[in-house]
Order: sequence, then structure tokens, then C-alpha cells
Amino acid sequence: MLGKIALALVLISGLVSCTKKAEETANSISYAFNMNLSSLDPAQAANLATNEVIPNIYETLLEYHYLKRPLVVQPLLAAKMPEVSKDGLTHTFKLKPGVKFQDSEAFPDGKGRNLTAQDFVYSWKRLADPKVKSDGFWIFDGKIKGFNEWRDKLVKGEGKFEDPIEGLQAPDDETLVIKLTRPYYQLHYVLTMAYSAAVPREAVEKYGEEFLNHPVGTGPFKFDSWIRGNKVVLSRNPTWHGGTYPSEGEAGDQERGLLADAGKALPFVDKIIFFEMPEDQPRWLNLMKGALDYSGIPKDSFDAAVENGKLKENLVAKGFRLESTPRPDVVYVSFNMEDPLLGKNAYLRKALALAYDTETSLKKFYNDQGLIAHSPIAPGMEGFDPSFKNPHKEYNVEKAKEFLKKAGFPNGKGLPTLEYSTSGSSTTRQMAEYLAQQFEKIGVKISIVANSWPQFQDRIRQKKAQMFGIAWGADYPDAENMLQLLYGKNVSPGPNNANFKNKAFDELYEKAQKLPPGPERTKLYQKMRDIFAQEMPWIPTVHRLGYYVVHGWVGNFKKHETIPNTYKYLKVDTAKKAELKAKL
Amino acid sequence: MLKFIARRLLYMIPILLGVTLVTFTLFNVAGGDPAAQAAGRYATPEQIEVLRHELGLSGTFVEQYLHMVKQLFTLDFGRSWSSKQNIATLIKNGVGPSLTVTLPGFLLSLLITIPLSLLLAYKRNSFLDKAALITCLALVSISSVVYVLVGQYFFAYKWGMFPISGWDPSWDGRWQYAALPILILVSLSLGSYILFFRTVFLDEMHQDYVRTARSKGVPTFKILVKHILRNALVPIITLVVLQVPFLILGSLLIESFYGIPGVGGLIYQAIQEADFPVIKAMTILSAIVYMIFQLISDVLYAVVDPKIRLG
Repeated sequence: MLGKIALALVLISGLVSCTKKAEETANSISYAFNMNLSSLDPAQAANLATNEVIPNIYETLLEYHYLKRPLVVQPLLAAKMPEVSKDGLTHTFKLKPGVKFQDSEAFPDGKGRNLTAQDFVYSWKRLADPKVKSDGFWIFDGKIKGFNEWRDKLVKGEGKFEDPIEGLQAPDDETLVIKLTRPYYQLHYVLTMAYSAAVPREAVEKYGEEFLNHPVGTGPFKFDSWIRGNKVVLSRNPTWHGGTYPSEGEAGDQERGLLADAGKALPFVDKIIFFEMPEDQPRWLNLMKGALDYSGIPKDSFDAAVENGKLKENLVAKGFRLESTPRPDVVYVSFNMEDPLLGKNAYLRKALALAYDTETSLKKFYNDQGLIAHSPIAPGMEGFDPSFKNPHKEYNVEKAKEFLKKAGFPNGKGLPTLEYSTSGSSTTRQMAEYLAQQFEKIGVKISIVANSWPQFQDRIRQKKAQMFGIAWGADYPDAENMLQLLYGKNVSPGPNNANFKNKAFDELYEKAQKLPPGPERTKLYQKMRDIFAQEMPWIPTVHRLGYYVVHGWVGNFKKHETIPNTYKYLKVDTAKKAELKAKL
Repeated sequence: MLKFIARRLLYMIPILLGVTLVTFTLFNVAGGDPAAQAAGRYATPEQIEVLRHELGLSGTFVEQYLHMVKQLFTLDFGRSWSSKQNIATLIKNGVGPSLTVTLPGFLLSLLITIPLSLLLAYKRNSFLDKAALITCLALVSISSVVYVLVGQYFFAYKWGMFPISGWDPSWDGRWQYAALPILILVSLSLGSYILFFRTVFLDEMHQDYVRTARSKGVPTFKILVKHILRNALVPIITLVVLQVPFLILGSLLIESFYGIPGVGGLIYQAIQEADFPVIKAMTILSAIVYMIFQLISDVLYAVVDPKIRLG
């Protein structure tokens, strides 16, 4: 038998060596997602992976500065930052001149035409068109004059797509005027999101439902190919309007070599290859072999790669380096505030929060990559105060028991078994069991309800889950995006899945919405945070940290989860790549 | 025979209706609300309702079920709710890569295991037979994940004999990526196939016709190949033909670890995302393919064994 297997091996190896190896371009960046890509239509940029591919092809009016922290918005397709009227309600954008769509057979002569302000009106209307089935309309929902009315008429069949919208007008090719229903200080943030990118009407109409596989944008890279379930390849767009590498950053960027290319023309690489690799092992092994240029660290490889927050010696010797970045998110255990037991008993919620040992869970489930969360506001956001300690967030079993007694259930006596819902993956299941152990210490029993991911979301939306573990990643770096998770009008099926309703909180939230960024607004955010700490509708657990292992030949690497279009800044030292790769 | 085939094809209709009914019921009981799923994390109740209408879910259950039956007969499954991709294209593009791995893997397994099992049956209770038996038992007791992980780690990463993962759609280019998955598939089936075939051949070894042939002085090789192998064809055909649908449906584990863009991952992903159109399409197609090959295997029985009459 062994002989035959050996023979087969020889035969197959022979077959392999006969075939031509796929041609590689050294000046390229390869990255692998831990999930599959879905659609390359910006209106459907829902999943994280898709959201990272699209901004290389399509562009938005505004973008984030690559290096500055906290995040700063700057013009991309806009010639400059918009003019804002005194009342904050009218934003007038002038487009950057000479921006062209990529060449495509969708255009009459195959040559990309100039971008106009009308393209934005068209693209944003698509978000609201029910036929497009976009989940991105929320960025404008209720905020632009006449937009919701336009959408309602379209849904009812009373209006046409061509009908004008009062608050969304293009008086000429270079000018876009947005009129808001009320001040919306997050507008500039959402105008950096892929949902708001400009798509050419010709391509949408030519490809119809297949538009999602034929992206045509204005971006630095154009679409080459997509082997579904395997990889997407993008290559440099020769007709790109251009951009230069930033010449300013935050403190320390100079020392880290992040300003060496200041003022140089972008992009630096000729190709980007995005792989779809849902499994951890191939992602990690491909990184180790140099087939990927950088990668996150799979949970099971973490101990082999990192020790005391530093990359292990054997990896450093091969030229790898470790980069970390705070993720603008919060992981939490949510209580359903409409539950007659948990919703009405703050002592009970506090007792549970005090009984939960977050530090150990951080080690167990996050490889110690993260910060203990004291409130919904994530690091790097306005209103985040690293010195703030939520009085109900320390790990204190004695105090927890005391609170449980005050709640009317001394040592858990008389308290029915609580229900904790979770999705069915093995990690979330382990987290649920850990939670059960924590509560057991004060005599509280929970039963775990495991669901498939869709079922789990349904239970939450229908307010059927009594208690559940979930996370929220911010869409933009404003604490408003976290605090809206507790706003009374956003209850399920909206994002306030704790169904928290608090009059004082809602009033502060509404007041803060009307204020521009600044100390006054920050104060309101912090007041809302304090109400949260008093009420504890959740047990906030962790703000996660992103870790990346990067090859020595990759330059200008500075990742932030909120910035989707970072690839044009990345640089590959091809000589170093050849040298280091030979050692792998 | 033709009458038999026609009757069997007709039987397929009620069975398929049953399959669709079960799928439909299961999905509606346990699948989650697809409209809410598609509406995203900021969805308002009104937006969910609008999407429900767009997805064709606003009708009664009966209307929705009838729509599914229509799809069954037209084989037009529309688009995936989650990836928005055309389902027919997804499946069409996936079958080739799946078969690139499974078909050679399967044929190679048969080529190795049938002669080997014949030899083991002939030499039963010898040292070789016992050693092989123990090896096979060991092979089948190891979880398939181990083969996939260890194979990738050693053959691809440590020894660099194959790429770690990937795919090239060209006919020449694909083999470098398919080679290791094929080998893994072969090693996965070795144990169970040998155990199965050996038992089949052993059953035949004891038959009177073997003893007669032997007493007539027919050479051993001729007995093995001409008599035993031929008489054991019925169970072999069962295995081979009924395996074909699974070859088409690909191997989820191997495909997702080796980056093979096949159909194996489609249904798994669809269940994760409450993507009912894909679930429907895959269930119905699997049922059809399975029934067709079941029929083929029944017809082949009659061809190889004149004692079996169809009817």
C-alpha cells in the first residue's frame, strides 16, 4: 500500500512541477479575510470584508487622514471640505476637477467619463430604493430634506426614481448641495463610508443585477478578477485622479518611519490580492510562507507568536513585526430591560456585573488583547476617559452578594434560573459557560440557550432573549454611534437591543445631537455614560485590540478599523521581499 | 426496463414535493427572519416590511410554498439573499472545482483499494492481512479534520511539496492546487474502502463456485479477477454510483481549508446566513441528483447480475 501511495505522490508531484506557476508581481499586497466576500456594489457594502475591498475601487467625497489620531476627515472626491451654512443645515460640496470613472465597456467608447455631482445624487438614491435591497440607507435616514418622503412614495409606487429631492441637489456638474432636516454632525463621517461612494449609472444599467460583479469606480485600483470563494484581484488604475502620501501624522509616526514617503504619489503597489480564507490554519501558514503580506493572529496561533505583548524571537528573526491597534468597539452582556425581572431590578443587574471577572475572561477568550470596558464609549472616541471607573464594573464577589441581597434574592434564593442566549459557535458557547460559572459564585443560576446566528438575532429583535452576549463595532469615531445603542427610540428591532428607555438619557442624547463636537458635547456624553453606570443595562466587558503580524518588506503600515481605504498607502520593498522570502 | 425507468422517474415527483415541504417547514420554523437579516443593523420595522415584500415573503405560507414548487420545476432559484449572487451561476461555477478534487480522488481510491482488498481477502489471516486491517482501523478512527490539518501543515508548509492553499481556474494550473486535496481525499477513504471491499470479497471467497474453480485447477489470479471480482460487482456498484452525488456536492472541509472554490461551502454558509434561496436550491438539486444515481445503480444491478429483475 505504501509503495502505491509513494508512487501516486511521485506522479502527482511530477504533474505539479510540469504546470507553470502562476505569475507573481512582486510589487503587490496580499491579504486574506477570515470570511467570504459577498457583493462589490457599494450599496451592499455590509460585511467587513466587502467593506475593505470596495473603497479601493470606489471613492467617497471625504476620507479619513491616514496617520492622524484621533481620526480627522479630509476631502477625497471633494475639492475641499464643504461650506457649511451658519445654521449647520446646508453643506455645499465642490467636486475635485478631472476625476474620471475607470475605463469600462459600460461607457459608449469604453473610456471612463468625468465624475459629476449628479453621480452622487444617483448613488445615494440607490441606497433608498427598495429594489436595490441596500442596508445602508440609515446613513441618511431622516436627515436629508425630502429624502424619506421620496423613498416612501417610491415604496408605495406613487413616485419615480427620477423625482427630485429637495435636500439633495446638483445645481451644476461640480456642485452638490445637501440640505439637512436638523444638524447632523456625523454627516462628514458617514460620507467616508463605502455606502456613500459614487457609482456610474451607465454601469448599473448595463450590468443590471450583475453590477455587483462588475465594479466601476474612480478609485486608485480597478477590478481585475474574482474567483468566487477564492480571491479578488485589483490592479492599479491608470486613469486615477491622484493623491499624495501625507506629510503629517501623530507623535511617533516620524520615528516609526511612517513619514518617509511624505508627498510621494500614491498608490505604491501595482496589485492587491484579497483572499477569502475562512479557516485559521491556511491563513497563518500562508503568512509564514510569505504568500500573505500581513495578517491578524488566529486565536490558536497567538501563544506561538506573541509572548508578553511582544512578537516571539523566531518570528522577529524572519523579519516579522507586530502592530497593534485599538478597535473602536465594545463587547457586552446585554440585559433585556423589558424583561419583568431583570428590567425592573437594578440591584440584580449590578450584582451580576460585579460577579463577572472580566480580567480572567480577557485572558481566556481574547489572549489578553484588549481593555476592560467600563462604558459603551470606546477608546479613541470623544468622551472616552481612560481614568473613568464604573463603580459596578469592578470584580467584587462580596459586593455582588450584598447587591443580590438588596435585590431581594439573598444568595440567589428565590431567584428563578435566568436565560442566557448565545449563537452556536464553540467560542461563544465557552463564553456562556464561563458566564454561568461567574454567576454561580453568588448563587445565580443561568440556563444557556444556543442558537444559530440568524435565530439568535431573531430572538434579540423580537425581544425574546432575557440576557445575551454581543458586540458593536463603531461605524465612525463619534461616541454618538455607541450611545445610540441605548437611545429609547432605537429599541429592537433597532440597535438598542437592551431595550433601554431612560428619559434623562434620551434628553441628553437629543441635546448632544444638536451640538457640534467640542467640550460641551463631550460633557453630555459623559453624563450619559454616568446614567449608564447607574442603570447598568449591560455588563460592558471588553474593548478589543487588533493585532497584526506584518512582514519586514511592508512599509507605511498603520491600520485603523474605521479607515477602510488604507491600501493605497502601503508600500512593498521588492528587494527586501525577495531576500526575506528566501529565508522563510 | 424502460417501463421501470419511467415509473421510477414518476416516483421522483412526489418525493421531491415531500423534500420541498420538509425544507420549507424546517426553514420557516427555525431559519430566522431573512428580511430582518437583510435589512441590516439599523433596520426599522418599516424597512424590514418593505424588504419582506421585495424578497417575496409577504405572501401567505401557501403562496410561498407554491413559489418554491414552481422553482423546483423551472430550476430557476433566483439570487442569494445574503451575497445577492445568482444561485445557478454559483452552483455552475462550483461544480467544476469540486469535481476536480473529488473525482480523481475517488477514482484513485478505487484503483488502490480494490486490488489491494482482493489481495488481502486472498491472503486473509496472514501477517499482511492483519497488519493492513489494524492500519485501516486506525485510519478510520482518526477524525477527518486531522488529515486536513496535518496534511496541509506537513506536505504544504513544512516540506513545501504543494501550495498551502489556492486555486487557478485554468485547466493546466488547477492541478498544482488540487493535488494535495486529492491525496487527502484518497487517504481519507483508504481505510473504510479497504474494510468494505475486503468483507465483500471474503463473502465471495467462501462460495461453492470458488471451490469448484479451484478444484478444477483454475489459476488463482483468474479466480480472483474473473470470478470473485465479477460476482462482487453489485456492492461495488452501489458504493460507486451512490458516491457520485457526494462527489458533485464537494467536500466542505477540504474546500474551505484549501481554498477550492467549490460547492461544498455553499450550503454551510447559506445556513449560517439564513439564505433560504441557496438552501432551497441545494436541497432540491441534491435530492434530484441522489435519486437519479440511485436509479442508475438499480439499472446497473440488472446489467451485471442477470438474476436481478427490475420491476
